[in-house]
Amino acid sequence: NVLLGCHRSYRSRPTHGIGKFKYLLPKEVPKKRKEKVQMKEIDAGTEYHYGDVNIQMTSYDLCLVEHFAQYVHRLCNRLSIRVNESYAMPTKTNEVLFMEEKGSKMQLDAVLTTHQRVVQIRGLSSTFAPILLEIIQSSQPEGVHLLMKQHTEADFKSRLKSRPELEELLAEMS
Amino acid sequence: SAAAQRPWKLFGAMCLLRLPRITQPLEKMEEEMAALMEQIELEKSHYSDHEIRKLGEEEHLRKMKESSYDEDEALGKTVIMAQDLEEKWEQKFLQFKAAPRITDADKNNDRTSLNRKLDSNLMLLVKQKIGNQELWLLPQVEWQPGETLRSTAERAMATFLGDHIQAKVLGNAPYGIYKYKFPSTIRTENNVGAKVFFFKAFLQSSDLSQAELKADHLWVTKKELGDYLKLEYLKKVNQFLLD
Repeated sequence: NVLLGCHRSYRSRPTHGIGKFKYLLPKEVPKKRKEKVQMKEIDAGTEYHYGDVNIQMTSYDLCLVEHFAQYVHRLCNRLSIRVNESYAMPTKTNEVLFMEEKGSKMQLDAVLTTHQRVVQIRGLSSTFAPILLEIIQSSQPEGVHLLMKQHTEADFKSRLKSRPELEELLAEMS
Repeated sequence: SAAAQRPWKLFGAMCLLRLPRITQPLEKMEEEMAALMEQIELEKSHYSDHEIRKLGEEEHLRKMKESSYDEDEALGKTVIMAQDLEEKWEQKFLQFKAAPRITDADKNNDRTSLNRKLDSNLMLLVKQKIGNQELWLLPQVEWQPGETLRSTAERAMATFLGDHIQAKVLGNAPYGIYKYKFPSTIRTENNVGAKVFFFKAFLQSSDLSQAELKADHLWVTKKELGDYLKLEYLKKVNQFLLD
């Protein structure tokens, strides 16, 4: 009798679908693998806006460059300039060999690592751009190179790794 | 009508800045903080490869002195000890001489040279004749119809320093404006006064050997501006100067 008397939440019953909750959660879009590049604005006529501007900072000293990049990022936040991305380029390692000619030929090695950080900005008005440049330049630490340039596709591609196997297969196919 | 445009004479002036070459010295609190942080980091950090190697070799040496077992093994391996490397690096470091932060021009207080005050911005001031007075001003030149104000400012720079200046003008918009009325003796209906528009430029190269048309020029910092410029002019100029 106990078994016959249980009330299943069948379709005709008002309790149908009583435990469902997934419809309440936000929809998850499946992630796309490919990144889209082209999000560029062109300099308009009357109101001058720069499109995507890259501020690239390079140095041998890692802490210095990172702290400077953080400073620039926070500065842009405070000045309500939209920061698209703030990323690091892969570090380049240089080996410096000294050839001493006195007596025996000795090779003194030194290993130098070059670090680069990029802060990408959008919507910089051209009346404000020189002021920003001056602020950043005057707070530039010693040993850090600063470069401000417009974002191009080549810059974007330089971040991606080339896939030699894929290129070989494509070459074979065509 | 009174609301009609009163004809003002327009001038374009250029504020040429030489950027600082060194960082400014830290304040007392900053220095204490930096020292404290360094000490904390040193105490928290791990040994680097070089230090581990050095410690291992010192242990080795101690063992060799106490007991003569390891002599045959050790001599074959290490040709250059970590200690030797350190001594070599020390010697190299002693040979290196950094450039002086306070240059000769600082000691002589020679304000016409670009080599002084390497840690602050230097501005160009020239002596110009306005009306019948000789005044120290930022180089300015009158605007001619048909050219932009920025090119007026560039022309002002070129007249005082020659054409071969490598300076980067910041933006097309002026940074500040100073307007003054002529004294009532010269003032007429059509010639009420003058407006001076200031532009900023950064000096790219510090090699001015090819330039110098006028001898009365000075390179001054923001604090020293007060010695040369008039009050009202100084107020307007100070508004757009960062330091």
